[in-house]
Amino acid sequence: MDASHDPGMRFNIAIWIGLLAIAGVEVFMTYRGLSTHRLLAVLLILAFVEAGIGLLYFMHLKFERPSLLWSFVISVVFVILMMNQLWPDAYRMVSIGHK
Amino acid sequence: MGDLAATLTGGHGATMEPSPYRIQSKKLTMWLFIASDAVTFGAILFGYAYLRVGSPEWPRPFHFSPSILNGMVMTAVLLTSSLTMLGAVAAAKAGQRASVIRWLSATVLLGIAFATLHLREWFHMFDEGWGLAKNPDGGPLMFGATFFSITGLHLMHVISGVVALVVVGIGYNTKWLDEGHIETTGLYWHFVDLVWMFVFPLLYLMNATR
Repeated sequence: MDASHDPGMRFNIAIWIGLLAIAGVEVFMTYRGLSTHRLLAVLLILAFVEAGIGLLYFMHLKFERPSLLWSFVISVVFVILMMNQLWPDAYRMVSIGHK
Repeated sequence: MGDLAATLTGGHGATMEPSPYRIQSKKLTMWLFIASDAVTFGAILFGYAYLRVGSPEWPRPFHFSPSILNGMVMTAVLLTSSLTMLGAVAAAKAGQRASVIRWLSATVLLGIAFATLHLREWFHMFDEGWGLAKNPDGGPLMFGATFFSITGLHLMHVISGVVALVVVGIGYNTKWLDEGHIETTGLYWHFVDLVWMFVFPLLYLMNATR
């Protein structure tokens, strides 16, 4: 990113307020009486939105070459999806009685 | 950007292939580190999430006050430290050396405040009988194991970041390091902040007493 793409402190403060607000919404949703699965889904969606905003504007990925953004996102998402083959093993630990 | 321009227009240009992303090598290295660290945290957080929703007797020890409230303050502190880090990067690009040091100092202080709040929360839990393999209520032991492992790994990143900021700040002030180092360290600091955006809801809010 070069200096001409710096969005300025006022813009950064707006992003900061937005991220604080999303964190506030997360706390609010926690006490709405949602089921565990639904609460997890809501919190994950909000966390991904926060992370996306942070990546684009705090880490300036929006102002880099698009190839950097896509190289980063695609590789991370691909590896995590591949790991998805292993995560359900956590259920096996529960079912065999580990505490 | 000076190194990059020199590489592209002359200097090592004849022998080195330019970066496909048009960024300095140290910045690309940091992005590669962040990608690998994101996968590490992604794996342990999603593994934890599977375990959490698959355990009906999972404990929910966090009352709104003090635990969730403390977590909210920690979130605000860490987000604010990202803002001050952005100030340091902008000042470095503008060549305002004194301003860089001021912004970096604020970031370091906020990082220390976050670590202090985090450790205070930990010691409060230790006093209640929680531990890596301890559950004072006699329920699943995995809560302590996952909570302290994941938050511990994140806390280690924060403490490492504070040390890195101090070293880079001193290096920049003595002209041993340049603005590229400030920006690269800033990327790491923002990443630590982003990880907390997942740790707080998954580890604290999902385990709030409701």
